[in-house]
Amino acid sequence: MFYKTLSIWLLCSLYSIAFAQNTSQIKGVVVSENTLTPIAGANIIGKNLLSISSTNGEFVIDHVHTDSCSFEVCCLGYACKTVVVHADDDKNAVKIYLKQASTDLKEVNISAKSKQRKALETPMVSQTVSKDFLDKNRENSLMQTLSKIPGVSTINIGSGQSKPVIRGLGFNRVAVVQNGIKHEAQQWGNDHGLEIDQQGIENIQIIKGPASLLYGSDAIAGVVDIQPNKIPLQHSFKGEVNVLGESNNDLLGISTGIESRKEKWFYRGRFTYRDYADYKVPTNKINYENYIFELHDNNLRNTAGKEIDGSVSVGYVAKNIKSETVFSNVNAKNGFFANAHGLEVRTSKIDYDSSNRDIDLPFHNVNHFKITNNTSLDFGNHTLFFDVGFQNNHREEHTEPTAHGYMPKPSGSKERVFKKNTYSLNVKDSFTLNKKHDVVLGVNMEYQDNNIGGWGFLIPEYDRFTAGVFAYDQFEINSDLHFLAGMRYDFGKVDTKAYYDWYPSTVRNEDNSTSDVYLQRAQNKSLNFGNLSASVGLSYIQNQTSYKLNVGRSFRMPLASELASDGVNYHMYRYERGNLDLDPEVSYQLDVEVDHTTKLFSVGVSPFVNLFDNYIYLNPTPTYFETLQIYEYTQSKVFRIGGEARASVNLYKNLQLTTSVEYVYSRQTSGPKKDFTLPFSPPLSVLFSANYQFKDFLFFKKPQFMADYRITASQEEIVPPEEITDGFQVLNMSFISKMDVFKNENPMDVRVKLNNVFNTKYFNHTSFYRLIDVPEAGRNISLSLTIPF
Amino acid sequence: MKIIKNYLFYFLVASLFIACTSDDGFDKDEEKPTISVNYTNGFPQGCTQLTKGQTYSFRAQVTDNKELAAYSLDIHHNFDHHTHDDQVTECDLGAIKSSVNPYLHVENYTITEGLTAYEINISITIPDDVDTGDYHCAYSVTDKTGWQSRTSIDIKIVE
Repeated sequence: MFYKTLSIWLLCSLYSIAFAQNTSQIKGVVVSENTLTPIAGANIIGKNLLSISSTNGEFVIDHVHTDSCSFEVCCLGYACKTVVVHADDDKNAVKIYLKQASTDLKEVNISAKSKQRKALETPMVSQTVSKDFLDKNRENSLMQTLSKIPGVSTINIGSGQSKPVIRGLGFNRVAVVQNGIKHEAQQWGNDHGLEIDQQGIENIQIIKGPASLLYGSDAIAGVVDIQPNKIPLQHSFKGEVNVLGESNNDLLGISTGIESRKEKWFYRGRFTYRDYADYKVPTNKINYENYIFELHDNNLRNTAGKEIDGSVSVGYVAKNIKSETVFSNVNAKNGFFANAHGLEVRTSKIDYDSSNRDIDLPFHNVNHFKITNNTSLDFGNHTLFFDVGFQNNHREEHTEPTAHGYMPKPSGSKERVFKKNTYSLNVKDSFTLNKKHDVVLGVNMEYQDNNIGGWGFLIPEYDRFTAGVFAYDQFEINSDLHFLAGMRYDFGKVDTKAYYDWYPSTVRNEDNSTSDVYLQRAQNKSLNFGNLSASVGLSYIQNQTSYKLNVGRSFRMPLASELASDGVNYHMYRYERGNLDLDPEVSYQLDVEVDHTTKLFSVGVSPFVNLFDNYIYLNPTPTYFETLQIYEYTQSKVFRIGGEARASVNLYKNLQLTTSVEYVYSRQTSGPKKDFTLPFSPPLSVLFSANYQFKDFLFFKKPQFMADYRITASQEEIVPPEEITDGFQVLNMSFISKMDVFKNENPMDVRVKLNNVFNTKYFNHTSFYRLIDVPEAGRNISLSLTIPF
Repeated sequence: MKIIKNYLFYFLVASLFIACTSDDGFDKDEEKPTISVNYTNGFPQGCTQLTKGQTYSFRAQVTDNKELAAYSLDIHHNFDHHTHDDQVTECDLGAIKSSVNPYLHVENYTITEGLTAYEINISITIPDDVDTGDYHCAYSVTDKTGWQSRTSIDIKIVE
C-alpha cells in the first residue's frame, strides 16, 4: 500500500513538473472534514491541471487558462471531491474539506515503467546502487563503500583514498562518470585516489563490463556512473547534518547538505570536512625485504590526511526543460607512509612520531574543481540531452629532496606537479520509433590540456582531443524480450611535448670517453587513434526470472604515460619507459546474467569471458637504466574469465541472509609475461551477510543489526614484482536505526559500525601498500549521526 | 523445493570456482633471484671503511632458479642520512653535512646467458679528490623473467 501511494505521488509529482506553464494561479488548502487537520499528499486533478498538497495541506495550481476551472481532489482514506473555482472567487484561499471514507481508492494502473523494470529490460549488465545502500555501508572512501558489491574491488592508498577496480581491472580501464561527465584526474597513477565527495550521492550505476559504446575510451572494463540527484519536490526544503567519528584513525568528519525548490527553480549545497590521523595496523613492526620498520603505537607513520569539499548547484525545471548547473571543489592533503616512499626505503630527521595528526613529507595535495551542466529538452517524441563540463585537476607530490643518480639535491620538496584542464561536451537525442524502438544518437567530445612541474619527471606535458559518435537501439520484440544493438566510432589525438632534464647526466660515448648531457626524456610527437566499439545484447524476462546476454567490443586509447613516460618513478623505485608504437587496446567480452527473484529468496549469476587483443602492460624487464630496473609498456593478448554469484533469502520476517562470490581468472597469452596473470588480480572472495530487523524499542525505530563476514582466498597467481598474498577472514558488524528523540517527523539516523572485529592482521592483494608488506587497518569503531532539518 | 534449489545453486557455484582455482599447470618462473655479500669474499661488509686512492673488488654472490640476466652497482653519498642498509650490523653515521664533490658510481652490467649462479666482481679505485663520509652501496640483480632482488650496505670513505 505504501509503495502504491508513493508511486502515485511520485508519478503525479513528475506530471506536475511536466505541465507547468505561466498563467494564473490557484492557491488553497486541503483539510479533513472530521478533524480539520491538514491533509498531505492529496491529488488535485483537473483538465491539464495537477497538484499535490504539501505537509501542511497547502497546494498551488499554476497555469489556469480559463476563468473558471474544475478539478477533483482525492486522497487515500478520503472520498474524492469535485471543486469548481469561478473567476470571481478568491483564488488565493480555496479551502477544500475531504470526508473520511472507509473505502480505499480504486487501484490505479500506472503505465510508466519502474526503474527496476527498465533495468531488467536493458540487456546491458549493470547494477544500481541506492542512497540506502550507500548510507548503510559507508566506509572511508566511496570506492571502499562500493567494494561490497560483488565484482567491485578497490586499490587502496592508506585509509582515505581508493580507486575503483571492476573484475580485476582498474586505473584508466574504469571510467568514473559524475553528472554525465567523465571524471578526469590523474587516475593512471598508482597513488592517486578518486577526488569525489561521497556524501550527498543518491544514485550510482555500475556497469561491470566493456561500455565504451556509451562512455567512450577508458570504459573498457566498466563504469562507475554517479548520477545526478533527484530534483526536489515543489515548495520543499530539506537539509541534513552528518557527523562521523572513527576510532582507528581518529577521524572526525562533518558534512551538511541542503536542497530546496520553489516552483521552477531549485538549489542545493553541500559542505564536507574530514580530518584524520595516521591509521593503526594490527602489528608493531613491518618487515620489508631485509628492512624492519618499528611502528610507534601501531600507527602507520604519516598516513594522516584531511579533506574539504564543497558544492553548490542551481537548477530550473519547466514544462519542456530541465537544467542543473553544479559547481564543486574537492581539496585533499594525504600523507604517505614515511619509511618507504613507494618501494624505496627512506630515513629522515623528521620526527614523525611526535604527533599522529600532522602530515609530513612525503605527502600529496590535490584540488579538483568542476563545473557541470546537465540540460534536457523535450520536443514531442524527442528528448535532447546536453552535458557540459569543465574540470581543473591540480595535484602536487612533495618529498624530502635528496640527490639521486646524476641528479643533485633539488632545492624544494615539490617533486611532481600535474595540472590538467578538461573540457567536455556530450549531446544526445533519445526518441522512440513505432513505440517499439528506443533509439539514442549522440556525440561526445573532450579536450584535455596537461601541464607538469616539479623536479621529478615521469610523464610529459600533453594535449589530448577525443570525439566519438554513437547510435544504439533498444528494440522491444515483445514486452518480455528486448534486443539492443549499438555502434560507435571514436577519434583521438595526443600531442606530447618535449622534455629535457634540468641537470646533466654522464653518458659514455662510443670511443669510451664520457660527456655530460642534459638528457631528453620526451619528444614533440603527435599521435592519432581511431577505433570502433559495438555491442549487441538480448534480455528475456520469464515471470520471476530474467536472462541477459551481451557481446561487446570496447577500446581504450593509450595514455600519455603509456606512450611517452621516460623517467624514474620514485614511488615505485623503478625506471618507466613508454612506447610510442602502442595501439589502442581492444577488448571483446561476453556477459551473461541470470537472476531469479521471489518474495522469499533471490539468486543470480553473472559470468563473463573476456579477450584483449593488445592489453597495455607495464612489463618489468631484466635490464637496468642507471641502476634502476626498467619497466616498459608492452602489449600482450589476455584471456580472462570469471564472474559473480549471489543468493539471498528472507528466513523469517525480519532476517535476511545474503551470500556473494566473486572470482576472476586472467592470463596473458602472449608477450614477455606469457602465462602470467595481470597485476593487481583480486583473489576469490566470498561475502556472507546477515541483516536482522528488531522491533522498535525506546526511541529506536526500525533498528537493524548487520554482520558481514568476508572470506578471501590466497592469491597465488602473481606477476613480478608482486608477492603471494595469503587468504584471510574478516568480520564487520554494524547497527543502524532511526532515532526519534525529539518526537518530530524527521528522526535522526544513527549508525555504529565495527570493522575488523577481531583486529585481524591481513593483507589485501590490491592495496598500494601491499608491495611493502603493510597489513590492512586494524579494528575500527565508527559512529555516524545524520540529523535532518 | 526452494531449499533444494538453493543448495543446488550453491553447489553449482562452488564447483565452478573449485574448477577454476585448481592449478593452471603453466610452467612459470615465480622465484626471485638471490643476492648476498654474507660470505667470506663478499665485499663490502656492513660499515667497511674504504680509503681514498685504494682499489677494491666489490663482490657479491647471485643465484636464480632459471636464468640470471643483469646486475647493477650504485654507490652514492648518505651525508643527509636519507637511507640505511639492510645488513645485520648498524653503523655509526657521521654528522649530517652537505656534499662538495661526492663519489658516485652508477653502473649496469649484464650476465652471460644461461647462468644460474654468478659472482659479481667489480674493481673500483676510490678517487683521491672525493668527499669523505658516509656512503651507501646498493647491489641489485634481475633474472630473465624480470624478478629483481636488492641489497644495500652502509660504508664510509676515509682519508
